[in-house]
Amino acid sequence: MAEYLLEMKNVTKKFPGVLALNSVLLQLKKGEILGVCGENGAGKSTLMKILSGTYPYGTYEGEILYEGKAIQLTDVAVAQKYGIEMIYQEINMVMGSGIAENLYLGNLPGKGKLVDFKKLYAGTKEILERVGIDAKPTDKAAKLNSGQMQMLALMRAYIKEPKILVLDEPTSALTNSEVDQLMSILKELRDKGISCIYISHKMEEIYRICDRVLVLRDGQTINCHITAEVEEETLIEEMVGRKIENLYPKAKVAIGSEVLRVEHLSVPHPTMKGKNIVDDVSFHLNKGEILGIGGLVGAGRSEILGAVFGQLYKGVTKEVSIEGKKTTIKNPSDAIEAGLGFVTEERKLNGFVWMLSIRDNMYLASLKDLPVKGAFVDVKEENRRSQAMFDRLRIKAPSIHTIVNTLSGGNQQKVVLSKWLVKSPRILFVDEPTKGVDVGAKAEIYTLMGELVKSGISIVMVSSDLPELLAISDRVLVVSGGRITGEFNREEMSEEAVMRAAIK
Amino acid sequence: MNKKKWIQVLATKNEIGTLLPLVIMCIVVTLVNPNFISFSNLMDIFRTTSFYLIVGAALTFLLVASDLDLSIGAVTALGGVACMFAMKAGVPVVFCIIIGLLAGALVGVFKAWIIVDCELPALIVTLGIQYAVNGIVSITTKGMSVSGATEGFKVLGQGRIFGSIYITIIIALVIAVIFQLILSYTKYGRSLFAVGGNPETARLAGIPVKRRRREVHILVSVFAALAGILMASRFASAQTTAGAGTELTVMAAVIIGGTSMFGGSGSVVGSILGCLLLAVISNGLVLIRVDSFWQNLIFGVILLISVAIDKYRQKLSSAA
Repeated sequence: MAEYLLEMKNVTKKFPGVLALNSVLLQLKKGEILGVCGENGAGKSTLMKILSGTYPYGTYEGEILYEGKAIQLTDVAVAQKYGIEMIYQEINMVMGSGIAENLYLGNLPGKGKLVDFKKLYAGTKEILERVGIDAKPTDKAAKLNSGQMQMLALMRAYIKEPKILVLDEPTSALTNSEVDQLMSILKELRDKGISCIYISHKMEEIYRICDRVLVLRDGQTINCHITAEVEEETLIEEMVGRKIENLYPKAKVAIGSEVLRVEHLSVPHPTMKGKNIVDDVSFHLNKGEILGIGGLVGAGRSEILGAVFGQLYKGVTKEVSIEGKKTTIKNPSDAIEAGLGFVTEERKLNGFVWMLSIRDNMYLASLKDLPVKGAFVDVKEENRRSQAMFDRLRIKAPSIHTIVNTLSGGNQQKVVLSKWLVKSPRILFVDEPTKGVDVGAKAEIYTLMGELVKSGISIVMVSSDLPELLAISDRVLVVSGGRITGEFNREEMSEEAVMRAAIK
Repeated sequence: MNKKKWIQVLATKNEIGTLLPLVIMCIVVTLVNPNFISFSNLMDIFRTTSFYLIVGAALTFLLVASDLDLSIGAVTALGGVACMFAMKAGVPVVFCIIIGLLAGALVGVFKAWIIVDCELPALIVTLGIQYAVNGIVSITTKGMSVSGATEGFKVLGQGRIFGSIYITIIIALVIAVIFQLILSYTKYGRSLFAVGGNPETARLAGIPVKRRRREVHILVSVFAALAGILMASRFASAQTTAGAGTELTVMAAVIIGGTSMFGGSGSVVGSILGCLLLAVISNGLVLIRVDSFWQNLIFGVILLISVAIDKYRQKLSSAA
């Protein structure tokens, strides 16, 4: 028998303009837990989508060997035939159905088209007892908490008798005791000879459970270690250790007095009752400053911005002062009134209106300020002003009347930025400002942010891009598990320090 | 210009896409029966169009804001009946009209509250309201028409000015022009496009999304009631079936006119053409002696084509 149960060799996956995976090597032994770690965007998810058949055979280069033989994973069903089962980060349950139906989803016991309910409920009962969930097989899935659901998702994969289990950040929604339980079940499965691929950027979990650990960075295999023989420092260095190139123009601006203070900000978790996704966070922002907020995806960073701005409001508690004055912000309207602007992360979802022109998108937040002649909008003047903004931002498009949807990511982001420049806020929130933006436009966006702070605007920037975060920010807060776990000024900040705080 | 380009131009220039079949239809019908372009026949067509258009202009706003309303027919009947009940009781004409409009507004407020504030789907809610309001109309009138229009009131629906143009046509045109100006050239119009195009973006830009949606829902009901009042004036009595089916005809007309079902784009000019097209078809079929049973089939096919074009247009702009 081959040394490895599964080998992915020389796997290369290209997206338009991006090399997501570059000749990656992954080797998995029978009955081991292999950790896969790396920064956001290192290529972990892409690699797993290839393994699960989501990106089918033929859309990538390289080969996959199963017990030493080359196989072709042409779709998800084929991958499942080889016993490859995925467990995703997000909860994946049919809430209105019973626990039993969820557990055996797509796999109901029975003859022909009929379901063998006796077998279904007996099997479910056995599994519920085994993982220690106190519920009846007929109870609705919605009754379970997210930890129990995650456990159920694991068992759903388990009853299909898999050879390889892939877990993508399985603990992000779990409490500590639930994590313990998950770990013990995983160890049990390993001892039965099932192999696991465990994706996580939490070092503690990697050390607790993984036999070996594979480090990915920028779509490349950096190293593969036996976990017991490698220092945490080494792993972190390998995860982030890339050269910082001079792609980050940073404006020199004198930092002034405090313009924004947020205290005791808490935001309830959207799906888990009794848990906060942002938990009693306080911070302040000074005039002319770019305050960076770092941390891992799902740490609660976007929620901090959204809650201050009034995008999120259900159950949010906060105290906000702007330039020393207590300010009530109940909705985005209040926030804009108070001088705030917000460039969100998902521009397609809530940044622009795709079927409207560049001009119309520019004025979305400033309809009240549109130039008028009598009762009507002074279209000539509106066009003139839009054209000036269009030229200033060097938006690459045929004209200000071009539909935004037809633009590239970088130009779309410029349009979203222009929406706030037209409004000229005192404080601007930007969430992942260069996500999906090509390198050239990135530098332009940094330059623009520099111009903004020079003109007296203060910026809070959430970024998962470590080099960007360190190069552009005057000060960095690191968020982990909804709390601020680190604060660094320019002298103190380093990729290692931020990473260490992010996985606290 | 090659063939593919032509299709794209037709699809992106909403109004041309409606104008073309309209012109073709007119030519065909005229060739078969020259009576089509007689003055009195054209007046008839415009008059029918007017009733569609009064609701259609308001409905254009609603569709631009990405909503819909199936209760138009019932509210039309309600508007006429409420107005005529008041008239029968001897209330001065101006107040009768106001009462009719208020009846529409009342339904509109209720409808807006359920859809916008209780967040229930407009499709089902307005269907329910359609039934309920129809019920109210039937109960209060016992299914009989309400007569007793005063001479002064009849002028609205029957009167002509400049010798031969129905006042109703003038009213509809004025409304349409005002609505188009609001839609294209005011801050209010701009905000509707944002609300319909992407409500979350609009909310984050400080636009009062819920308020806008409530307003356009109320607007549609008020104008549906107005159409009912004008119909009552035309027939000198309020029919309980006055608006039956108009919700679908007008919705079809607006969509045929190029206003997107998906929200965020549309024009009143397009709606005028859409209303005109449907009026021409129903009139033309009679003139060329096609059985009127064919009319529904043809309306249906045109509507399906319009929706397909709408989707195709969306695809064009998102694929580019």
